[in-house]
Order: sequence, then structure tokens, then C-alpha cells
Amino acid sequence: MTTTAAPVALTPRRGLAAARARHTAGRVLAALVRSVAIIVPVFLVATFVTFALRALSGLSPARIQLGEEATPEAIARVEAQWGLDRPFLVQYGDWLDGILHGQLGTSWANGADISTLIGLGLGVSLSVATLALLIGVVVGFMLGTVAALRSTTWIDRAITGFVTVISVMPAFVVGIVLVVVFAVGLHWFPSGGYVPAEQGVGPWLAHITLPAVALSFDVIADVARQLRAGLVAAYRENYVTGAVVRGLSPRRIFFGHVLRNGLGPTLATLGLKFPALVGASVVTEWIFGLQGFGRFANDAAQAGDVPAVQGVLVVSIVLVVSFNLIVNLVLARVTPAAQRGV
Amino acid sequence: MTTVSEGLLPRRAPGAAPDAPAPPVLSLRDVRIGDRAGDREIVRGVSFELAPGRAVGIVGESGSGKTLTCRAALGILPAHFEVTGGSIEIDGTDIATLNPARWRALRGTTISAVFQDPASYLNPSIRVGAQIAEAVRAKKGLRRREAHRRAVELLRTVRLRDPELVHGSYPHELSGGMLQRVLIAAAIAAGPRILVADEATTALDVTVQAEILDMLAELRERTGLALVVVSHDPAVVARLCDEVLVLREGEVVEQGPTHAVLHDPRHEYTRLLIAEHEQYGLDRFRTTGEDT
Repeated sequence: MTTTAAPVALTPRRGLAAARARHTAGRVLAALVRSVAIIVPVFLVATFVTFALRALSGLSPARIQLGEEATPEAIARVEAQWGLDRPFLVQYGDWLDGILHGQLGTSWANGADISTLIGLGLGVSLSVATLALLIGVVVGFMLGTVAALRSTTWIDRAITGFVTVISVMPAFVVGIVLVVVFAVGLHWFPSGGYVPAEQGVGPWLAHITLPAVALSFDVIADVARQLRAGLVAAYRENYVTGAVVRGLSPRRIFFGHVLRNGLGPTLATLGLKFPALVGASVVTEWIFGLQGFGRFANDAAQAGDVPAVQGVLVVSIVLVVSFNLIVNLVLARVTPAAQRGV
Repeated sequence: MTTVSEGLLPRRAPGAAPDAPAPPVLSLRDVRIGDRAGDREIVRGVSFELAPGRAVGIVGESGSGKTLTCRAALGILPAHFEVTGGSIEIDGTDIATLNPARWRALRGTTISAVFQDPASYLNPSIRVGAQIAEAVRAKKGLRRREAHRRAVELLRTVRLRDPELVHGSYPHELSGGMLQRVLIAAAIAAGPRILVADEATTALDVTVQAEILDMLAELRERTGLALVVVSHDPAVVARLCDEVLVLREGEVVEQGPTHAVLHDPRHEYTRLLIAEHEQYGLDRFRTTGEDT
């Protein structure tokens, strides 16, 4: 048997570099196509379930507008105004068409445009979530790396202990402590409210820093733990021994070999983390007096404002799906072997 | 695969080779390796000297301490193991005096190694050519383009048929034999004087094994590379080595010129090892078949 035979058909020599570049582009493109093939059905099913919520909940705009003692005729009239007397699938088609054009409909509670309301809240929440993610990734990366490089020493234990402690501290407790210490006590930051970035980057950062720090604890803990585990496992691999006997420096071995292969679980976790940061920040938004996405979602649900809740869900679906897509593409680039589907 | 009877014929008469005896590139003197936790000695007194262009073989069953001896010489003993006695000198330097930076300078350029299961010794996320080029760049200070050219050259040296194509492949896209050649190319990238081959051909099928052993023999003759060949298979050692050590439970039970040890084994264990090889080797079946 000849094992030296090339596994692929021969390529002309001069075309090789180009062929290799195409190969890489092809791999990322394949990951993109595969992801889209999954995303489209997921999006359709998820939006269908979301839309079916109204029919399932039995809520009606008439209840909100007319109160409990409305006559059946009045209810029917209001429902007809909202187009709710049409067949279910026709309503779904209309609604989906609106979503694809960025129109999430009108609020039952006050007739305002939901896209605009969510856009305002999302600006706040995305600012806070992005900063929280940034803090979480930077701090978590440092802690995880140091713990892995000094694994089983007291440094590793101290970091692991610290990470465990902060991972069980609820964001609202951290938030309150931060406000008491840094806003009320030291007057370093405002205690609440929000200033858009267009009105000055300084005030914008000052207003989002404390809530972002409060939210980042969870990300720090997750990133540090996943990264530590990934790096420790990668350091045990034979290819590290291989690199050592080739005489490569510890820095080269860490960045070129260990980090690259140990990063996968951390990236996958981050893909789930960002949407969670945007969505699950209701309590933090209350503490810091922010009119964010989480609070909008909460208010809409309390009021039984079905179109607003549906809008919140659609935006959440888009966030989750697009973040997973980004993470998949990054993973396809960083660890190509993981894409061969074994 | 070379059977013992054929392989026993030395490739060249060991006494006839040297002009003036060159100073050894690797010498082990009464090396002992112990388990720090259990106070056990796992390797008890291994000594040999390896001159440039020569090859020494270590045979023995699993757990006899072959791999630990090699790892000690490479400075990569697993955690909890340490050299408890004797000395190891690489190119005249006692390894006990080496700090991490000097170890790093020595590895790749003076001593290098290849192992069993080559796929696991290559980074799965990086093209194999880039991994060879990385070694060239780190150890020889070559620029990217020169390192690429050198990597392709090395892949040709280890007789890969389409070096350019292999250069751009990931480890999971190559066969076991190709990967072992790639690993050898990476190991010799910085022109080491000693190559440790720890069961390097064990997992390969016999034709590929023979090709790789021939390739190593050629490298040795052409570049003066000194080889430490570790195998449980006496035939592999017979094909490549001038001197052989037979290791059993950490002790050298027999040591001497390959043809002497394998032709005329004095120790009962060596006899057993060779007898088993002959008993289960294909040669046995073929000769009996022809006789009847």
C-alpha cells in the first residue's frame, strides 16, 4: 500500500496557494451555508410559536381598551379593527411580512410603534451588555489563563475559589452593593439613569459602567472556568509535547497550540451569554433606573400587551440566532478539525 | 516487515565503520529513574554512548522503562518522575545543569524526537506545513517565505510524494504513514544531531514501516544523524542499529553489538524475546510451508 499517495487529485503547482485560499474560504462558506440552512427553519418555527401565543393566551386588545365590562359587540368591533377576525394563517403571513420589513406592529396598550419602543430599550441594553461582555471576556480570560498556567498551585485554587464566589452572587445584590459603594459612597459614578452615546461618550460610559460590572460577574465566572478547563486539557495533549521537543518557546506553544485548541468551549459559552445578558437584565435595569429591553419585556408581559411581547421574542430570537451564527463561523476558522463532523 | 533472520544481517559491519572515534553526542551513564511519590526505581542503570551517524536500539516489553529512558534524555519526564542517579550528557553538556531556556535551545537543534501515534503529536487545527515551517522559523530564524520553501523541501526529504499538497493539509486529512513522515520532517527541521524514535513505526503497517525505516537509515548515512530507536520489535532494531540494549523491568539484561546480541543471545530473556518473534513471525509459517 502506498500511503504517500495524495488523498486529493493533483492540483497544478502554481495554483496551489490560490487553491488553499479557496479551501479556507470554502470551509467558512460551508459553515455559513450549513448555519443558514439551520437558522431559517429555526426562525420560522420560533416565530410561528411566538405568533400562536396570542391565540393560545386568549388575550385581546379589547380587554385592555374597553375593560372588563365590554359588550361582545364592542369586543368584536375592536378585534376587527386589529384584524383579529381574519383567518389565523393570514394574520401570521401579514405579521411575518411586517417583521421581515422591520415592522413589529402596534402596541395594544398605547398604540405606539413597537419597533421604535424596542429600539430605544435595545440601545440601552446593548450598550450595557456589550460593556459587560467586554469586561467579562477580558477579566475572565486573564483569570482563566493564569489559573491554567499555574494549575494545582495556590494561585489556581485562589482564582477558582474567587470565581466560584462571584458566580453565585446574584446581579441585583452586586448591583445594590456597587451603587452603595461607588455611587452613594464615593460619588465616582451616577447611581442610575442613562445618557445615549450621541450626547457624549464620557457620560454614556459613566452611566453604563456600574450595571455592566454587575452583569459581568457571571460572564467572568463562565469564561474563567471554561477557559481554565480548556487550556488545562489542551496542555495535556501530545501535540504540546511534540512542540516542546521541537524546541518551541512557551509563548509560541501557548498562543499557537494550546489557546487555539482550548478556546472552543469558551467561545461556545459566549455565544449563549450575550443574548442572555440582553434579555435577563430586568433586575439590574430596575436597580439602575434604566429603561432597557428587559424592562420593556417585563412591562409588556405584565400589561398583557401581546404584540409587544411578540416583538420582544422576535428580537430575542434574532439575537440568539445571529450570535450562534457568529460563534459558529469563528469556530470554523479557529478549529477547522471540529467542522469535519465526527 | 523485516523478520529477525533477515534483519539480523547488519547493514554494515559495525567494526568497519569509524575512522577515528567521534566524541559521543549522547551518553547515558548508569541512569536511574524513580517515581517521586512511591520511591520506586523504574529504570535501574542504563548506560550507552551514541556517536554521530550511529544508531542504538532499545528493546523490551511494555513497561520495561524504554520510553522513560528516552523521555529522560529529552527532559520531558512525566510529572512525579525524576532522574535519581547517573548522568545524561547531550553533546557534552550534563542535562542536570540545563535551565528551561537552555533546554529549549538544545531541543530541535541538537536532540529531537518522534513518537508512536503521530496524529496526536501534531496540532489538529494547523496545517502540517505550517507546523514544520513554525519549527524552522523559531529555530532557524527564517522568514515566512523561506520557511515555507524549507518545509516543502523537508517533506520531500521524508519522501512524501506530493510535498506541496501535503504542506497545505490538516493532520486529519493524512494517513498514519504520511503523518509519521510529517512528524519526522518536523523533528529534523532544525537539523538535530540526535533523533529519538520511540516506537515510531509500531502502529504502521509493515510496508510503510519498512519504507520509513529505510528513510531513517538513509538520513543517518547522509546527514550523520544519530538515532535512538526504541521498539518492542527486535526486527526494527536489527534493521537500523549498531548496538542494542535489552531492557527488562528497568534493568539492562543484555547489551552489545546488534548482530551479536540478536544472533547469539546470552540472556534467557533475550532468547525468549527472539524466540517469540520467530515463533509468531510470518517467516516461521512460510519456511514450514516450504519445507513440507
